[in-house]
Amino acid sequence: MNVQPQLSFLLDYETPRMIELGANFYAAQFHLMKLLPARYMLDRAEESGALQPGGHITETSSGTFAMALAMLAAVRGYGFTIVSATSLMDASFKERLKQLGASVILVEDESRTGNQSGRLAELHRVLESKPGAFWPKQYDNPDNPAAYSRLAEMIVEKLGRIDYLVGCVGSGGSLSGTTRYLRSLFPEMRAIAVDTNNSVLFGHAAGPRLLRGLGNSILPWNLDHTLIDEVHWVGALQAFGATRELYRRRAMYVGPTSGAAALVGAWYARTHPQETVVAIMPDKGYRYQSTVYSDEWLRSQAGWPAATLTEPTELSEIVPAGEGDWTYMRWARRPL
Amino acid sequence: MSFPNSFPFETRTAPGHVYSRPLRVGTGRASAHHGEILQGVFLDEAGRLHRALLTLPFPCAESIATFWPEDGRDIRTRPPGRSKAAKAAALTFQELGYSQVSGCLTIETSIPVGYGYGSSTADVVAAIRAAAAATGVELRRSLICRLAVEAETASDSIAFGERVVLFAHREGRVLEYFPGDYPPLYVVGFVSRDDPPVDTLAFSPAQYDSSEIESFRVLRGLARRAIVDEDASLLGHVATASARINQRHLPKKHFEALLRICEENDGCGVQVAHSGNLMGVLLDGKERDAPSRAKRAATAAREAGFTDILRFAVNADAMPVWG
Repeated sequence: MNVQPQLSFLLDYETPRMIELGANFYAAQFHLMKLLPARYMLDRAEESGALQPGGHITETSSGTFAMALAMLAAVRGYGFTIVSATSLMDASFKERLKQLGASVILVEDESRTGNQSGRLAELHRVLESKPGAFWPKQYDNPDNPAAYSRLAEMIVEKLGRIDYLVGCVGSGGSLSGTTRYLRSLFPEMRAIAVDTNNSVLFGHAAGPRLLRGLGNSILPWNLDHTLIDEVHWVGALQAFGATRELYRRRAMYVGPTSGAAALVGAWYARTHPQETVVAIMPDKGYRYQSTVYSDEWLRSQAGWPAATLTEPTELSEIVPAGEGDWTYMRWARRPL
Repeated sequence: MSFPNSFPFETRTAPGHVYSRPLRVGTGRASAHHGEILQGVFLDEAGRLHRALLTLPFPCAESIATFWPEDGRDIRTRPPGRSKAAKAAALTFQELGYSQVSGCLTIETSIPVGYGYGSSTADVVAAIRAAAAATGVELRRSLICRLAVEAETASDSIAFGERVVLFAHREGRVLEYFPGDYPPLYVVGFVSRDDPPVDTLAFSPAQYDSSEIESFRVLRGLARRAIVDEDASLLGHVATASARINQRHLPKKHFEALLRICEENDGCGVQVAHSGNLMGVLLDGKERDAPSRAKRAATAAREAGFTDILRFAVNADAMPVWG
């Protein structure tokens, strides 16, 4: 039952700051949220023997989960191979991973759809060549949502009762996990999912997504639809605009998924002034300097600047909208 | 029997000279508890897990122990047979450097025995305090807890009185001091005849799974907030969640009826004894009509077939007029 002693400097990365954005609106803002499930999954794997001292870790991921695993592998002395696609990882991010000692394998992806099957085939080749390698499987591993007890603890310790939890969905781990823990205390708390167009998570057909870091082309087991009260599809341009607005008005330098969560959370806070709203903000903005934080890059995006929306359009059936749109649906805790 | 004047004027002839003051009559008290607000396993600062609990005090019932030094072979008790209390007193004397102490330990208690109100622990803690008083010293609460665990394998945090602590009851140590007091609470407590009796000390501890262990972390976080804010509603949510988890380990047969009584009387939560049979409906003592709702909850409990129904207040600043 013992828990690995934690390294305090990494603990700081996985510990959110609770930021007051309004009288009834708070953000749980992480430096690197994925460090929380990555650390928890490695702890459990070390406990069960699935990950042996000096062993090897491999995963397919293109974003912050890859970074979190690379950091942990570096400080805990594991080998690490990350599999991604050429369309999904930029040169400087790849360089950061390699400097942490990670092997980075990028599969070709001419259609720019992520080449999920090519990545999985490559991952299985890695597993075969490294017997005993540990594959965390963030989409399916129940230890991913289980890790979010720490976030739930921090939210209730800081705020007491909360009424709305707003979170982006990618693997489903953070929103499903945090909701389960918070509902054990506040069964009536509402969970609001933030997704984007062309993501299959809440019923769109898979397609290219301009907003990265949330949404998915495959359906992860860790997303429990029956926990979700309402789902929002935030178009990329709305998310970018909200992200820049957060920086301009609040000096919060965060990633575009945090901008999307802030946009949705602020709307609930405005329309429910007596209730407490918390939005989960998963990472900082440094990775997006040449995109979301570049005026030039933004100008090169079709439709930019988009009209700023202050409220979403309610949908009665699931239909994709444009990147300048913001739609939502009452999901009512039903399965997909 | 003589009562030497033992006021501690300096009588040592040389500094550091060790001597034992003669024993005098000493009294100690300790109150009852009514199960727990929260019980589970929790991390310490080094990342190790400990079984620990947050006791719900039952301040209006207490045990008073008085130690009378007398010549003889050992410590006898009145009423006879309170061997754990006698052992606790003996351990205390030993700890304080007194050997071969003999005397009579009188225990007067208003705590009903065998109901899970912690009468045995209260006797033990009162006996430790009486023994310490007989030697003219006061003990740190942490030492009292260690001695209590030594005397009866597990203890609770009643030595801490009104202080709110997350207490590792099998080790006798505090995991966390919560910064504040319990909010004003009214408690309607009862038991069900359909729940078999539990021997607290023979009871084998719950084996929690990893999702429960993670949940306890969240409950602990809300308990902290509830104590800081003196917020009965938040504390009620903690107690209810802890009681629900406990249903998987020591289920109360009529738990749904307990929840219903709470809901129908606008209680802020339910609490249970996690290694006993007690159940309680918690009401926010800051709400003006709480006493009358407590009365209605007690009536509802009687009608639902619960027995040994009682009402009490915690930190309510005044004795309620129960009506």
